[in-house]
Amino acid sequence: MSIKIAVIQFPGSNCDLDTLHVLKNVVDIETNLIWHNDFKETEYDGVIFPGGFTFGDYLRAGIIAAHSPALDEARIMLRDGRPILGICNGFQILIEAEFLPGALLKNDSLKFICKWINLIVENNKTSFTNKMKLGGVLNMPIAHGEGRYFTDNLKELEENDQIVFRYVNETGEITREANPNGALENIAGICNLEQNCVGLMPHPERASEPILSPKGTTHGKLFFESMISFVKKGVL
Amino acid sequence: MPKVGKDNNELKVDLTQKEIKEIKELLKREPSLTEWGMFDVMHSEHCSYKSSRPKLKLFEDAEKNYDYVLAGPGQDAGVIDIGDGYCLAFRIESHNHPSAIEPYHGAATGIGGIIRDILCMGVRPIALLDPLRFGPLKNNPHSQWLFKYVVKGIADYGNCTGIPTIGGEIEFDKSFESNCLVNVACIGLGTIEDFKHAPSKAFNFGDYVILMGGATGRDGIHGVTFASRTLTEMSEADRPAVQIGDPFTKKMIIEATLEAIKTGYVRGLKDLGGGGLSCVLSELTGDGGTGATIDMEKIFTREPDMNSFEVMLSESQERMAFIVKPEGLETVLNVFKKFEMAHAVIGKTDDSRILKVNDGDNLVVNLPAVALSDSPTIPRKEQRPKILDELLAQETPEPNLELEKIIYELISSVNICSKKWVYQQYDHEVGIRSVVKCGEGDSGVLRIIGTNKFIAASVGVNSKHCYLDPYEGVKGGLVEVCGNVIANGARPLAMVNCCNFGNPEIPESFWYFSRSVKGMADFCKELKIPIVGGNVSFYNEDEVTKTAIKATPIVMIVGLIEGKEKIITLPFKKVGNDILLIGETKAELGGSEYHSVIHNLEGGTPPKVNEKNIKATWNFIFELYKNDLVKANHDVNKGGLVITIAEMGFKNNIGANLDLSDCLDNLRDDELLFSESVGRFILETEPDQYQKIMGIAEQFNVSVKKIGVLISAPKITIKGLKAMSFGLKIAELKDLYDSTIPNIMET
Amino acid sequence: MLQKEYIVELVTENKIKARDPTGEVIMKDLLAKKGYDMVTNVRSGQYLRISIKSKNEQEAKETIIKMCNELRIFNPVTQNLNVLNVKKKN
Repeated sequence: MSIKIAVIQFPGSNCDLDTLHVLKNVVDIETNLIWHNDFKETEYDGVIFPGGFTFGDYLRAGIIAAHSPALDEARIMLRDGRPILGICNGFQILIEAEFLPGALLKNDSLKFICKWINLIVENNKTSFTNKMKLGGVLNMPIAHGEGRYFTDNLKELEENDQIVFRYVNETGEITREANPNGALENIAGICNLEQNCVGLMPHPERASEPILSPKGTTHGKLFFESMISFVKKGVL
Repeated sequence: MPKVGKDNNELKVDLTQKEIKEIKELLKREPSLTEWGMFDVMHSEHCSYKSSRPKLKLFEDAEKNYDYVLAGPGQDAGVIDIGDGYCLAFRIESHNHPSAIEPYHGAATGIGGIIRDILCMGVRPIALLDPLRFGPLKNNPHSQWLFKYVVKGIADYGNCTGIPTIGGEIEFDKSFESNCLVNVACIGLGTIEDFKHAPSKAFNFGDYVILMGGATGRDGIHGVTFASRTLTEMSEADRPAVQIGDPFTKKMIIEATLEAIKTGYVRGLKDLGGGGLSCVLSELTGDGGTGATIDMEKIFTREPDMNSFEVMLSESQERMAFIVKPEGLETVLNVFKKFEMAHAVIGKTDDSRILKVNDGDNLVVNLPAVALSDSPTIPRKEQRPKILDELLAQETPEPNLELEKIIYELISSVNICSKKWVYQQYDHEVGIRSVVKCGEGDSGVLRIIGTNKFIAASVGVNSKHCYLDPYEGVKGGLVEVCGNVIANGARPLAMVNCCNFGNPEIPESFWYFSRSVKGMADFCKELKIPIVGGNVSFYNEDEVTKTAIKATPIVMIVGLIEGKEKIITLPFKKVGNDILLIGETKAELGGSEYHSVIHNLEGGTPPKVNEKNIKATWNFIFELYKNDLVKANHDVNKGGLVITIAEMGFKNNIGANLDLSDCLDNLRDDELLFSESVGRFILETEPDQYQKIMGIAEQFNVSVKKIGVLISAPKITIKGLKAMSFGLKIAELKDLYDSTIPNIMET
Repeated sequence: MLQKEYIVELVTENKIKARDPTGEVIMKDLLAKKGYDMVTNVRSGQYLRISIKSKNEQEAKETIIKMCNELRIFNPVTQNLNVLNVKKKN
């Protein structure tokens, strides 16, 4: 079975080429970079919204891109259970388009932060985490100014197992020091109820090749391998 | 300033009476006001390099003398061939005056400008580096304000455009208190084919001239004359010269431009910066040996009723000019439409060698194209400052503190401590090329995806050393910056520079410039490093005291690493390994951090460069690399050798037992520990390779001394000095190193 | 004299002659594309609501303006400061 993935390019996307490189050359799946106005869902088994500063993040990160026709196409995929991943600005877009609940606010330091952090896997059943170990610690970089996750419905999120990743220290403990942006309950990534749509602030595409990782890890690759496995099985 | 024009139509211009006379003679008529404005801008220091050009002639013709140099000085950026069909373009430039009065937008638009310079060489900008200078930081709200917002301006602009900021260099010194320096460097990567499609001249007749990007507004008119005056003379009245950065539009310009070049129909390309359309059109046609007729009404403006003077001189950001083959017009315009970038065909090139601009039925500009791009030079007087004799004669007092305390003081100095607070705000990983990241090495190392090649880049100079001796100081800067890329395993390939000096009309200021240029030229010729570009920023002086900034001839080096396994990093790796000191330590404390932090002295004997020794040291290091003998490498810089060793121990928490008895010779303890003699490295090597390494050292005639071993205890112990032996805790050093800037900026 | 508490509302925005990329993008890439092409201009800014103890309205306003100038709450090189409203706190 051949798998075909779309990476959506908006005005101001800037991790689009990076994500494309990893999918094509590292994970080795057929991937197209598609200009947002030209995206048609029918051709694709999955879609990735890459990082960047769509429309300059003017007004609020992700809000203008959330009105793009690409999101109408993606909404069809959301409903029929195909995998959708939002990375960083892509996560912000999915939140603003209401694919995912909550909000992403300015970091509590009010500064952009670029550094490597650790994540704990809290749900390994989603379309992008099924190759991960529950409770496993992933090493990945963040690079964002508006990544402080907030929701006024935390209980529901917890009950529905929608919290996928939390920021932790090196030994896997959820601590205040390990939280880089002040996110509620250290939340770094979440999924929708059906678990086919995942969004997170850290960048898996920057952590998929040993040469780029300070510790030589390739935890980011697991996201894309999970997606392949999910598409092949057809169901969660 | 003289006035030109007549009646109610007068204009104050920054031209000499001689220039005015010559312009009139050349045209055989009175120029229009718009034309006067164009001459004024094109003959400004910023555009014409009228003071600096005679000195810059000292730089060799890099394109002629080095076969891998594709573009040298005088172009928008230097370009070198790195093999496998790829080329690198790079340049560094200043944005000092705008940043001194509006740090956020000043720094942001500085980044914007340098990105355009790289882009118009036809390649994708892939990295930024920013050397900065501010006044002292502690208890100084003004410096903190400038520092905070310059960093934020760089971060917001670079991050949004998706270009990683991979390096930089910062010094704090009182001479920069009111005239901070914001230098911005950019590196671009592309194929040689792409580069060939983007000459910055219009050499063909009948091609279309297209303006793409932001609308032309009244902002920034006379920005270049602003850069060519001191802040004291102009700042209040000229404040509107500061522009608002728009990184989103810039990102779209990058993508639209690169896609337009890929069509193969672009025949010339230039960005609009200082001097606006005047500068671009006259350079495109003047350098291309063509002419052009421009229809001013086609130029899209942001405000109604702009006159030809304003349109031709506007320095609105985010604009590019394209020269396009007639048969490709539609294809290129479709690219601009896809990215929703505003654009207009504003004219056509012809063989007249005259630049004509029509405003409706009025011919408002009618000038020989070369008249503007061929500008005059002014010989400047130079004079060595008398105060230097006194400064150079300063002696180092006996240390007033224990050595151990001095080291803790030094590692907390803002000029030495970690710059994590800064680079964490920069997205230094976007583009997934960053292999040696900020804080992990002496230079930033990027991979060239699709090859087994890596480039290393570093930037800087020591302003305190240059203040005492600009000739030796800039050479020392080159040794240091080359040392940074060498420490990561790269061979230096080419250099660009950004000369920041005071008022060139003052002979003492011009002397600093002149000596610096000579230093760069001499060193680069001897070490065979082509100088492929430069930028000069004069008129940097303190508003209040009228003193010039410390001379700051920033240099940037780009080097090449041929293979992943050849990358060397800074952290100590394995307990039990040897620590070697390469190069000689001399009593050169002039301009050192030790002098300034501990003794509050600016003078003394600054480091001198011996090119022969430097060459031998580099060759020795390359020979060790070839034999895979180096486990870690860090060049010795500010604060001296113990600081260097401490920095190498931080990441893996590895300590060191040092015995310096072999190094002491006739030196005092403080001279040995804190000298900033250039061309030295600290290496980690394996003990069983010691004999082999010493053999190579002898062969290359390089001073190599084993000064210690790595230990698992997290401390550095030092013996063999005249003073009693003592110890330093790695944890304490690291805490001071990491917390200095956050403690100042976050409380 | 007894001090009362006042609420001063102010907005900083880029000078009219300086560009406002945020406002431009909201208008061009969002409003105009979604059919709100009757919108002719959008300017963005930063809104501040400051509570201050003062003798009277006039003094409250003057203190705030002085404070904003002194502390560079806005940068006069690129921005304007407009006091929208001053009212007594209930």
